[in-house]
Amino acid sequence: MIELKGVSKWYGDFRVLDDCSMRIARGEVVVICGPSGSGKSTLIKCMNGLEPFTKGEITIDGVSVGAKEAYLPKLRSRIGMVFQNFELFPHMSAARNIMLAQQKVLGRDKQTATIKTNELLERMGLAEHASKYPAELSGGQQQRVAIARALAMDPIAMLFDEPTSALDPEMITEVLDVMVGLALEGMTMAVVTHEMGFARKVADRMVFMDQGAIVEDAAKDEFFGTRRSERAQQFLSKILQH
Amino acid sequence: MGSYRWNWPILLEDPYFGWIVSGFGNTCLIAVLAWLIAFPLGSVIGIARTTEIRAIRLVGTVYVEIFRNIPLLAQMFLWYFVVPELLPEDWGRWVKRDMPYPQFWTSVICLGLYTASRVAEQVRSGIEAISRGQRFAGLAMGLTEPQVYRYVLIPVAYRIIIPSLTSDFLGVFKNSSLALTIGVLELTSQARQIEEYTFAAFEAFATATVLYCAVTGIVIVAMRQVERVTRVPGTITIQA
Amino acid sequence: MFAGFDFAILVRNAPFLWGGMLLTLKLTALAVTGGLLLGVVLAVLRLSTIPFAPTLVAGYVNFLRSMPLILAIFWFYTLIPKLTGQSVSSFYSVLIAFILFEAAYYSEIIRAGISSVRRGQIAAGLALGLTNAQSMRYIVLPQAIRNMTPVLLTQSIVMLQDTSLVYVVGLRDFLTTADIVAGRDSRPVELYMFVALVFLVICFGASRMVHRLRRRYAL
Repeated sequence: MIELKGVSKWYGDFRVLDDCSMRIARGEVVVICGPSGSGKSTLIKCMNGLEPFTKGEITIDGVSVGAKEAYLPKLRSRIGMVFQNFELFPHMSAARNIMLAQQKVLGRDKQTATIKTNELLERMGLAEHASKYPAELSGGQQQRVAIARALAMDPIAMLFDEPTSALDPEMITEVLDVMVGLALEGMTMAVVTHEMGFARKVADRMVFMDQGAIVEDAAKDEFFGTRRSERAQQFLSKILQH
Repeated sequence: MGSYRWNWPILLEDPYFGWIVSGFGNTCLIAVLAWLIAFPLGSVIGIARTTEIRAIRLVGTVYVEIFRNIPLLAQMFLWYFVVPELLPEDWGRWVKRDMPYPQFWTSVICLGLYTASRVAEQVRSGIEAISRGQRFAGLAMGLTEPQVYRYVLIPVAYRIIIPSLTSDFLGVFKNSSLALTIGVLELTSQARQIEEYTFAAFEAFATATVLYCAVTGIVIVAMRQVERVTRVPGTITIQA
Repeated sequence: MFAGFDFAILVRNAPFLWGGMLLTLKLTALAVTGGLLLGVVLAVLRLSTIPFAPTLVAGYVNFLRSMPLILAIFWFYTLIPKLTGQSVSSFYSVLIAFILFEAAYYSEIIRAGISSVRRGQIAAGLALGLTNAQSMRYIVLPQAIRNMTPVLLTQSIVMLQDTSLVYVVGLRDFLTTADIVAGRDSRPVELYMFVALVFLVICFGASRMVHRLRRRYAL
């Protein structure tokens, strides 16, 4: 469903992405990991066209992201994205954050949007916070609202860019639980994260990146079992110590 | 100071009192009209300077740089003495002969366009102060760029810049005094005129000063209210 | 439009105009220096714990920032001779007006610059065993000065433009001399456009330099 072929990106002289190719099939959960600066955030932002790329091809459900005729807003409305810093709109309540794109992009009327919003907030256990503003919510609550905001668009796939990296340890679980739930429901997901516990639980495949290139792309059991590349081995041994 | 004879009551006499009132009225009128030009125009230019399209950004930059690097007084003279000469014949003639209150309108336009460049800078820094992630979040949902500006960036940017816009608004009031150089009878010039006629220098200037301070005070209090009303619940603001 | 542009008039009056420019530069330099010195004093007083000092300084600053510069010029131009009882040249009356006026703005910039240094920095200094004065000298001030220099320079460029207001008391700065020539020879277009161009070049150039300075030394 999501396919990357030979994607490279230069930022001036600096090569951020180096000939990356990978595939995410429908219903697959792919976890992308690697040291900081490896380009994983950039890669995931290229998938929905937020970051432009210099070479290569990315197609989502057959539509090419880089093509000039691709109408990006429409494409992006079909893919949900969750950010490391939540990026809720601070001047809108939680409910309005979730409703905005439904009304302005999908054209849903207020009633339909409200029903969907309330449904999602219930699911997240945040129903009583609907009219609260982001500044009044904890990090974990904000991130769950952000996930609801993305789900409100009924996306065909979800992209997660280090969703728990900015959270206090106690709140990481509540967010990961939501993500596990999504995975078990069959959502196609690409997740950039360091949370190996989460990966072991629901990932279908692991992708390891280093210095802009995809160094390893293996099924979960293979990855955690017989780690093929030395670099991945090094990385895993360092982060699995905690 | 011993030889100075105080004469406060003279300010209440005709025609001096009338001069103060009309002067103050002109000051306020020029300021408000100039702001009505500056705020919309400045907003457009400020937003233009944040777009991805280089050509539009360049136009905005050129505008701002021209208006902020030439002294306001020189700009006033340019508008009053030079522009009528450079206009096509018919327009030039109309401006020089038939336009009503030429000094007044010239000063309004001059001040408006100058202040627009300041507003543009505030709007630009307000938008640039918002983290890139907000823009990304909006785009990721499928909003178009104009929609991102309208729903995500502008509501937050304008809240951020309320204090600096207040300062620019007060600046318009103060800068209206430059209109006296092309003959507009605003508050400062009237104070000077009273001084010339009555030699009550201190009283005249003090009155003008008090009026300017009063305007400043009222505007600041009003903008504090605006800030309070538009504040997003849960955020902490710093009391200026 | 520019068919009748008379460059010669600029050449003919160059010495006179240059005299005006010299006055502009002189006034700016003196006002900036005086304003900065006074501004530092005011900022220090404002941040100090001396009773009433912060309030008085705040009052002074807010008062001067509420009025137009032209009015301040008129105040000092008419009042200083009356106060001192002697006739003071307009240059010095105006200079005093500028220094007192701009000091208000400079003091705010300096105060903001000092306050912008994070409190944690002072704490770190004290934790190492430095005294308050040492922390100020080695940690706070260097950072504060780096932060505030671009803003102070920008304000000084504004000052350069503000000096043109001496027109209202007839002091012959660059703009006023140009105005005199323009009126005398009926050639406003050439003269005012020349003035505008000169200021544009000087101020734009100066602000570009400040921009580069800021990029190199920003913390």
